[in-house]
Amino acid sequence: MANDSQPTLLREFAPQIERTNLLQLIWIFFLLAVIAVGFYALYTQIAEGHIVTGMRDNVVWGIYIVNFIFFMGISYAGALISGTLHLFRAEWRKPIIRIAEFMTIIALLIGPCYILLCIGRLDRLYYLVIHGRIQSPITWDVIAISTDIFGCLIFLYLAVLRDIAAIRDFQSIRIPNWKRTLYRIVALGYTGTPEQQERLHKATDIMAAMVISIAVIVYSVLAWIFSVTLQPGWHSTIFGPYFVIAAVFSGCGVMIVVMWLFRKIYRLEKYITRKHFVNVGVLMLVLAALFGYFTFSDYLTKWYGSEKNDELLINLLFDKYYWLFILSNYIGVLMPMLVVGLPKLRTITNITISAIVVILALWVNRYLIVVPTLESPYLPIQDSRPAWIFYNATWVEWSLTATGIAIFALLMTVGSKFIPIINVSEMEDKPVPEEELLT
Amino acid sequence: MKNKRVKFTSWMICILLVSSVTLCGQEDQENVSSSEPAETRISFNALYTSNDTVVLTATVFRQKERDVIWLQNARISFSAGDGKSNGIALGKVSSDSMGNAVLTVPLNFPLPSNEEGMIQYTASFDGNQNYLPVAESFQSKPARLEVSFYEEDSVKYIRVTGTQFSRKEDIEPLSGETVNLFVPSLFRPLPIGEISLGEDGTGNMEFPMSLIGDSSGNITVIARIDEHDKFGFVKGQAQIGWAIPKHLLAQDKPSRELWTPVAPIWMIITLLIMLAGVWAHYIYAIIQLIKIKTSSKKETLPEKDWSNYS
Repeated sequence: MANDSQPTLLREFAPQIERTNLLQLIWIFFLLAVIAVGFYALYTQIAEGHIVTGMRDNVVWGIYIVNFIFFMGISYAGALISGTLHLFRAEWRKPIIRIAEFMTIIALLIGPCYILLCIGRLDRLYYLVIHGRIQSPITWDVIAISTDIFGCLIFLYLAVLRDIAAIRDFQSIRIPNWKRTLYRIVALGYTGTPEQQERLHKATDIMAAMVISIAVIVYSVLAWIFSVTLQPGWHSTIFGPYFVIAAVFSGCGVMIVVMWLFRKIYRLEKYITRKHFVNVGVLMLVLAALFGYFTFSDYLTKWYGSEKNDELLINLLFDKYYWLFILSNYIGVLMPMLVVGLPKLRTITNITISAIVVILALWVNRYLIVVPTLESPYLPIQDSRPAWIFYNATWVEWSLTATGIAIFALLMTVGSKFIPIINVSEMEDKPVPEEELLT
Repeated sequence: MKNKRVKFTSWMICILLVSSVTLCGQEDQENVSSSEPAETRISFNALYTSNDTVVLTATVFRQKERDVIWLQNARISFSAGDGKSNGIALGKVSSDSMGNAVLTVPLNFPLPSNEEGMIQYTASFDGNQNYLPVAESFQSKPARLEVSFYEEDSVKYIRVTGTQFSRKEDIEPLSGETVNLFVPSLFRPLPIGEISLGEDGTGNMEFPMSLIGDSSGNITVIARIDEHDKFGFVKGQAQIGWAIPKHLLAQDKPSRELWTPVAPIWMIITLLIMLAGVWAHYIYAIIQLIKIKTSSKKETLPEKDWSNYS
């Protein structure tokens, strides 16, 4: 290998890969238990139909779609953070870039599953392929997400290749033979020759640029699914950029929380420092300001427009959903600005707490985009009953929401058991001279 | 320290599991305590149609807090009488998944009625161990609406003739009543006007020439009296080919509508350019990976010993 110090770093991270302690086993067992309950909920939904959910004739999208938007947002944030930091050769990125890469692909695999949960007749899913219309935003979404998944998988593979090769060549690591064989196959014979390095470098740069642009397109397409419809609150020209900003904002929150967890679990205080939290926190602050600006702009124009149904929606948001609206659009915006903006408050714990608030606020934000709009349709349905008009998520939906979070946590945990959560190969690379940046 | 943490986590999981089991137990207890028969209700109406039948619809349900629960497979007995004697049984029907039990009875069937020609219809549910018995009845007089069309001085008209059936099959005109006219549409029937029936039980209205029918211009006109104190629901309908024929979009004309088979050209070109651009980069990255793999194979080949050739 080109890097002599890798074994030293790998030796430090080897225990992560070599063994799983009792606490970690309990954690994995707990996640599996949550997932098992989720599978029971899924069985209930398949056996009894969507009547077991809170979705009815008016509110046909509930928290499944909220979760879909949320996970896609996390994925996009991971792609943007890892892709941008890679392209700009930001030195501080090295200890946290792997976390961002994992987040990207794991969230991207979980998100679309919620669409499947929302579909009443899954047996007709193939109709989308045989009767699909290019004019349909749903078709754009299917094409965009499948392209994004493929691109992110390639990017992740390129990003971990050097570390996989390093583990393969690290003889003193105690891992089972099947795992060693797996590393040997997946490493593709990479030995770090100048030619291989150059090829890997080129491919990674190109894919970094691609995952950023594709993620923008995917999230914009997701926003267009809402904004091309004539629904109060959805038909907005700024929904594309608004969704993109909200996605990176929520993803930054998740990134900070995941950084904090891995830092504690694997004792990475030496590598993931306050500087990393502050840097991602500053990004979160800028995004909070942008998110606040877009939200204000969107509601202000609707409120001044005085269009009947928009007014009804705004009244609903300030009445039935008052506290959720305050959490989503005031506390969620102001808290990261205060915590990161004021140097005295800028501690790792405070930034993490504000990140948790941001995650909750942005989940609620998506809920407030989806549900109240469907609760105030242009055309009243026949034989309207309160249970059909208003939405309340059931235990089945909450359980499957918890399952998505548990699968995310489980895959992050299992992923860190195969590949070091810190990018060991890049950690020891020399900083790129400024004149070579982006050449 | 480590042991303490493990103990703490184990305790937390135990508490979580125990509390979930307790919660499940509580739910079961609630189910057991609520095993007394539930109160049920019936929503019942009769619709007189133009082919001289009466459609009796009983909807059986129970109210649980804010929710309505429809009772499926509930056996509903229908009967008709004059309001004094017990009446005659018309039949039994099981309710569907929406709690609806529907029975169609021909009006030439000898239905008992009082002096005014009013028939008392009754729908009853006998109940079972889970649901209490319930019955609902109302009186109505059989009536009929007939829709016809005619043309006068090149103007097209809709004519509605209303009749009511008194005792001993006497037929009288349905005078002075207001009839609403509709045409079927995707969701609710589209109202097109109303007619007041004259002394002879007939009324007419100019046919709206802006109505769109099927591809041949056929359209159904529905005449209805709803929730009348005396007649309840009465409906008649007829079809005519006077509407504007619906022209389906030409297959070769691109449009943004979802039902058109050809998408706008700009959309197809944009999508193709974007996909081609993205996948070209993917392929480039994959080729680089393949070259990394092949270059490693080359490295492992033994070097040729050129000294033998000198």
